[in-house]
Amino acid sequence: MTLDPAEWTALLLSLRVAAVSVALMLVPGVACAWALARTRFRGQAILDTAIHLPLVLPPVVVGYLLLAGLGRSSWFGGWLHATFGVDIAFTTKAAAIAAAVMGFPLLVRSTRLAMELVDERLEDAARTLGASPWRVFRTITLPLAIPGVVTGVVLAFARSLGEFGATIVFAGNIEGRTRTVSTAIYTALQTPGGDAAAWRLVLVSVMVSFAALLVSESLARAARRRLGVARAGGAS
Amino acid sequence: MIRVDLRVERPGFVLDVAFASDARALGVFGGSGAGKSTLLAGIAGLVRTARARVEIDGTTLADSARSLDVPAHRRRLGVVFQDGRLFPHLSVRGNLRYGAPEAGDSSLQEVVELLELSALVDRRPHELSGGERQRVALGRALLTRPRALLLDEPLSSLDRRLKRQILPYLRRVREATTVPIVFVSHDLAEMQALVDEMLIIDAGTTSEPKPISSLLLDERAFERLRDDGLANVLSAVVVAHEGPDATVLRLGGVQGPDVRAARVDASAGTEVRLRVAPSEVALALQPLQGISIRNQLAGTVRRLEAHARATLVEIDVGVPIVAELSHGSVRDLGIGVGQAIVCLVKSQALRVAEPS
Repeated sequence: MTLDPAEWTALLLSLRVAAVSVALMLVPGVACAWALARTRFRGQAILDTAIHLPLVLPPVVVGYLLLAGLGRSSWFGGWLHATFGVDIAFTTKAAAIAAAVMGFPLLVRSTRLAMELVDERLEDAARTLGASPWRVFRTITLPLAIPGVVTGVVLAFARSLGEFGATIVFAGNIEGRTRTVSTAIYTALQTPGGDAAAWRLVLVSVMVSFAALLVSESLARAARRRLGVARAGGAS
Repeated sequence: MIRVDLRVERPGFVLDVAFASDARALGVFGGSGAGKSTLLAGIAGLVRTARARVEIDGTTLADSARSLDVPAHRRRLGVVFQDGRLFPHLSVRGNLRYGAPEAGDSSLQEVVELLELSALVDRRPHELSGGERQRVALGRALLTRPRALLLDEPLSSLDRRLKRQILPYLRRVREATTVPIVFVSHDLAEMQALVDEMLIIDAGTTSEPKPISSLLLDERAFERLRDDGLANVLSAVVVAHEGPDATVLRLGGVQGPDVRAARVDASAGTEVRLRVAPSEVALALQPLQGISIRNQLAGTVRRLEAHARATLVEIDVGVPIVAELSHGSVRDLGIGVGQAIVCLVKSQALRVAEPS
């Protein structure tokens, strides 16, 4: 089984979009997870709900909202275009943003669960040893929640690979720019005689997702072994 | 000098305490739910307080009247928790260094030697026994050069054998450093083995700290602690061993009289604490012949405290010792303050103060 050049392009683009989307959401995702797990503030329930909204909204709706907010005819998109000559909608950037928004709740959820399982008394102990809040986070909370962060990253990465609805509305289906594996499969199915191409892409997706889950599982295992016991593991 | 004035409000529980103590090691004694851990957390700055004033050796760490509240990580208080709370993802060395990243190798070495940790430094917390974990936690706290050590039931997760192993390390810390210690426990025997002054915490309020040996004369403390084994606590220095079952010790260091005690496993010159229950001390008007009791200590009656259920008599034999007598015995012997008297203490009743 070999992929033709267009299919290779779609696969590499998918991987790139997924990687960029994870990179985009990693810091805000971990920060949101920490804020939800470890602090109490006004409007927390609203933030929590807003983060999870992409999980329950139809992806097409998310794509449309992104288009309405960042498209060139929107206020912000128009300003970006006029000031910097930058367009977002219907570019690779749009595909990454769409994937990031859709994967964000998965990352936050898994990280937050893992952080909630970190014993707060260890954080107290760290404080009595002179660790500032930032150092407590960096050296205690995050390392102990790392299996959950890894799981979240992999889930979000896999979600990005599979993203379709929001991508096609916000980024379109432009070969070489926004045609990811998912949209390529869709295109192949729309093309007479495209079944073979669709199958090849389907197999590739299964393999990539399988590999991602395998890697996450072994990383999470290694992290738990380092802690000596199966604790603070997070959702894996 | 440690000065604490705290109020912590929680649903269904209020801690409201104020005390000051100059003791080298201050004990906080109380049952579960009395507020012991909350008190330590309040001193350490780990809980929100309704009122707080914490002062240690002249440094004010919190004063709500002046809106001063030094955050926990800047208070430099070494806390050792009941469960050790070692960081599971760091080695023992990583744990020890956590609070003192810039500490030189020499100070690490000092603590490692003091607590005999050298065989453990490259291990991980889950590979340690409970007692080893507590030693590492103690070392980790010590390395931060704390203003004070707050020990929150550091022995209570250990069995008796381990307690007896750890206690000498705590004593060593007490002797080798000048850091004031606050030791929280529900075990009076541990207290008697370690602290100089003790206060009792009950339902969120505390009594005044008192020298541990004077608690016997305080009727409330006596009634409260009688069943926990409140006893005379006498510091003594090992003089010599007499056979496999007896040891001669000098009470109060240099000036006190010599006594014979049940065998003490320590070499000559070692300072130990002996305990003897006041009910094990008998009084006679003159030395007795033909009796098995080997410690006959001549002294003077200093004080009489008639409690409801017994009279406590304090006798100065070079150091103060308290005897518990029935009211009838006191009357029949005609014991009064200033009287010369002989304290009779069986050597087997004099034992090293150790956790029970």
